[in-house]
Amino acid sequence: PAMDTDKTTLPVAAADGPEDAGSFTTVKSKKSQKRKREAGGADMETEGPGAPKRPQFPAISSDKLRGPDEMRKVSVPAHRYTPLKENWLKIFTPIVENLQLQVRFNLKTRNVEIKTCKETQDIGSLTKASDFVKAFVLGFQVEDALALIRLDELFLESFDVTDVKPLKGDHLSRAIGRIAGKGGKTKFTIENVTKTRIVLAETKVHILGSFQNIKMARTAICNLILGSPPSKVYGNIRVVASRTAERF
Amino acid sequence: MATEDMWSVLEDCVKKINDNTAHPENFLSLQDGAAADFTTLTKLLYDLHKTEEPAEYKGSPLVQLVVENFDEEQIWQELELQNNAVMTHFENATNEALSDEKLSVLVEEEDDEENSVEAEGETHDDDDEEEEEEENDDDDDDDDEPPKQSKRMAQDEDGAEGYTDEDSDLDFDVDALEKREKQKKEIGRKGSRPKVVPSEVDDTFFKLSEMESFLDDMDKREGKEDENENELDYFQDLPSDDDDDLDLNDILSAKKKKKIIAKSSRNLKYKDFFDAVDREPGGDEDHSDGEEDNKDKSWQEGGEEIDEEADDYDGEEESDKHIWLMSKVTFNLNEDSEGEDLADIFGGKTPSSAISAVKSSFEKRQEKMSEKIEELEKTALADKPWQLSGEITSQSRPENSMLEEDVEFEQTGRMAPSITAETTLQLEDIIKQRIKDQAFDDVVRKEKPKEEVFDYKKKLALDHEKSKQSLAEIYEQEYLKQNQQKTEEEENSAHVEIQKLMDTLFLKLDALSNFHFTPKPPVPEVKVVSNLPSVTMEEVAPVSASDAMLLAPEEIKEKNKAGDILGDTEKTSTDKMRDRRHKKTVKRIKIKEKEKRQKLKEASGTGENRKLSKAEVAENLKKLTKGGKTKILKDEGKDKALRSSQAFFSELQDQVKSQIKSAKDPSSKKKKHKEVSVSKLKL
Repeated sequence: PAMDTDKTTLPVAAADGPEDAGSFTTVKSKKSQKRKREAGGADMETEGPGAPKRPQFPAISSDKLRGPDEMRKVSVPAHRYTPLKENWLKIFTPIVENLQLQVRFNLKTRNVEIKTCKETQDIGSLTKASDFVKAFVLGFQVEDALALIRLDELFLESFDVTDVKPLKGDHLSRAIGRIAGKGGKTKFTIENVTKTRIVLAETKVHILGSFQNIKMARTAICNLILGSPPSKVYGNIRVVASRTAERF
Repeated sequence: MATEDMWSVLEDCVKKINDNTAHPENFLSLQDGAAADFTTLTKLLYDLHKTEEPAEYKGSPLVQLVVENFDEEQIWQELELQNNAVMTHFENATNEALSDEKLSVLVEEEDDEENSVEAEGETHDDDDEEEEEEENDDDDDDDDEPPKQSKRMAQDEDGAEGYTDEDSDLDFDVDALEKREKQKKEIGRKGSRPKVVPSEVDDTFFKLSEMESFLDDMDKREGKEDENENELDYFQDLPSDDDDDLDLNDILSAKKKKKIIAKSSRNLKYKDFFDAVDREPGGDEDHSDGEEDNKDKSWQEGGEEIDEEADDYDGEEESDKHIWLMSKVTFNLNEDSEGEDLADIFGGKTPSSAISAVKSSFEKRQEKMSEKIEELEKTALADKPWQLSGEITSQSRPENSMLEEDVEFEQTGRMAPSITAETTLQLEDIIKQRIKDQAFDDVVRKEKPKEEVFDYKKKLALDHEKSKQSLAEIYEQEYLKQNQQKTEEEENSAHVEIQKLMDTLFLKLDALSNFHFTPKPPVPEVKVVSNLPSVTMEEVAPVSASDAMLLAPEEIKEKNKAGDILGDTEKTSTDKMRDRRHKKTVKRIKIKEKEKRQKLKEASGTGENRKLSKAEVAENLKKLTKGGKTKILKDEGKDKALRSSQAFFSELQDQVKSQIKSAKDPSSKKKKHKEVSVSKLKL
């Protein structure tokens, strides 16, 4: 499904005046023809001397500014269907109440659809909401994904284990095992130290957090994939984390 | 009463006593026989007396003295019973006798007459006297009444034994009376009855015992005169020394107790100075002159205090009366008369006339007034007592006199709380209340605060468990922390300074006042030190001197764990070997890693067609030339020739020319070796 982009109706450029009872007619070059928004008002460039009456347009209200309602769709894989059902309340409440969007789950297409409405103040909130749902669908907890709505500077990164090093069979499994650690210990350690959330889905690794922290976590995971023992990785991330913590 | 019987009994007793005491040296050893005799005698006399006792005496209930199997103490107690009972009666009797004005004593009477007078005046029974005498005898062992003893012994010489005891008895009673009347009278007066002990050195003028007693007296007097050193009795006629001797002589005569009055210097005669040579030392002419009567020094101190005399004027009169009764000397004139006139007047008058007349109440009042006036004058003129004489040290005042003084002074310090019953009760109340409230002042155990080393870099603790907080919460907390820091920084700097000052002040106050004060543990301070020479930090003026940096050398460069850094010449062989081994291992590792990398690269590379980097090329070249099998062709100075074609051709031309020359020249065959080769030119 393609994203609907804002279509702005483009006003026709106002004609420059051959109304000049002038000596010469100006040749309109195509360059000068600019596509102007109607909302901007008449900000026209006239090449001729003595600009005559400019068309005055009154300021437009924000209601009219709004285009048609936009919509995003997030598909939900089968293994996340039940968790979605369980947490549905927690999912749609912040979207609807805080972001003032409309959301529904299309059962046939198994998509979560989010739409703007009249009450929506910020157009960017739609992106946030879709990111939030996407994060949940990837495997993150609702509370963790909620951070995406609350904080602007959080990002989501995904990569594959095989991207780091081409591993096959047992090596791959071992690598994944190294990342996870016994009972998820290593993964949690990295999460705690770097203040990120990590989702390990077979060979895919998803990291949620701020940019610096994602980098730290990624480095750590890559080291683990490449074969360094967890203790070493701990040492490294600890050093890096303390350094970054000191800075603030 | 069968007085004749009694008399005979008494005579027997006396005889017995004399027999037993004839040899006093026997008493050095235990004389049981004599003791038994004396005991029986005592009993006899006591019984005798008791039978003769008149009814009104109210003596002790014991009719007979029980002596069988009683020891001395018990016998004595029995006697004492009797004595105490009749004492009051005797006192009354003597009082009557004293108050009896009709009695008079004639001066010129001998002892016997005196005694007879006394006998008349008294109402004593002979029995009583002799009983007391017996009691005295019983007390041979102790010396309770030395004066009596002495008198007795003195009078034993004279042979008038019976009556001397009377004297002694009377003296005793009189003394007691005197004491009661005059409280200020000093005891010393009584006690200074001299003893006359005959010694070898004695003659008509000198008696050893006299001298000794005189010296004793003087000592005593000196002891008392110290108090009244500066006191002058302005109205007193000065006694001469000879008078003292004379007085003593009189005393020692013992027949008469002469009262010696300080005479005026006009009327002194030989008699006053010296004893009559022909007379016995014991006997004495009467000093019939009433005017020249001298006072008995033993009754009066030498430089006597006027106040004492003034006070004792009345009393002395009384005592004088007593004394007359005993001695023939008339009366005791007061020396603190208000002037010489008075003395003269008194001297002129006959003492008897002055005193025998009953004084009118007006006169009595006048006398008292004059006494008081004299006393006041005395105190006014006299030296102030030590209490009023300003600063005084302990040497200037009598011993322990401060103890009797009530001193007033201000106390500036807090007095220790006086513990009374009330305070104890208060305390107990407080204690009870505290126990009820369970508010004890227990000492809290002080624990030394653990010094936490301030981690300059706090190590992150690794948590291996899934975090309880969600990501959102974590970021939220971080955000809040940052905001809080901002708000903290906005505190008023003035407030911070004030807080600091108050902290230091309170710390000092706590140190002074808190009983359980513990000082704060030292906090490590962070101080930034710049590593400049200390001179520049301290002084403004540049002084060519110290290079002392503020940082210690160890702080500039860390000390090597191994120890001192050794130079090449300082190293021992082991050190050198160690270094060599270390170098070799390091090198080995490097090489291995390099090879590994190389292999990897080759493995991952595209094969032989791949492009070699510059470094790799140089590496290969080096490897090849190392073996010595290959040789690198180098440009040797001919390079310049190749730069331009002109240069090249000119070079070529030159070379050809030289060749031709050499060919032409037969000697230059050597040069044929030099050939122009292509390779050299590198075409």
